[in-house]
Amino acid sequence: MRLLMLDAMQWFCIACALFCVLRMLLGPTSADRLVALTVLSSLVLGFLVLRGVRENRALYLDVALVYDIFGFLGFLAIARFLKDKFSDGDSPE
Amino acid sequence: MTLARELLALLFFASAVIFGIGGIIGLFRFPDPYSRLQAGSLCGTTAIFSIFIGALALSTSLAVAARVVVIMIFFLVSAPTGSHIVARFAWNSGLQPWKPPLSRRSGYTDRQDEP
Repeated sequence: MRLLMLDAMQWFCIACALFCVLRMLLGPTSADRLVALTVLSSLVLGFLVLRGVRENRALYLDVALVYDIFGFLGFLAIARFLKDKFSDGDSPE
Repeated sequence: MTLARELLALLFFASAVIFGIGGIIGLFRFPDPYSRLQAGSLCGTTAIFSIFIGALALSTSLAVAARVVVIMIFFLVSAPTGSHIVARFAWNSGLQPWKPPLSRRSGYTDRQDEP
């Protein structure tokens, strides 16, 4: 029962991540793609946590924590890059 | 004890499925990036946090449970901050919020809209 629930939630995370990828492919503006990327990052984090709990290995959860930190830095970098690209670098920082 | 843990995990996983499907539907049906961000980040955070609580109830060793708690605390900090960064990017890039059409705005149908 425990393994069944964890496996089912992993498949649910994968299905939601596929829909997020679809939204990211057909989003009209770049803000849409960035929104889909935030949701996709959260879903992948949930998938990694479920995988680590199912295999009962603490090392997988360390991977999930590092993924969360670097995904957060990735949003910061992508948003800053796109903002600089749209405003041609003359925004008052 | 095992039965109580599995029932708790089942409750939180059911909540995660409901909120996750709601967030995905909102991500596809809402008209502009601000409302999509609202649906995606709010329902996504609720669903992922329910998944974390369920996984915490199902974890067997103390090392795994402690790491899940650390990930929950960091996720509680990082997810709203990331959504705020995305919303500020959308606002600073000059994106206009969606407004409803005039005939649907206050509940009555305007005759002048009809051809």
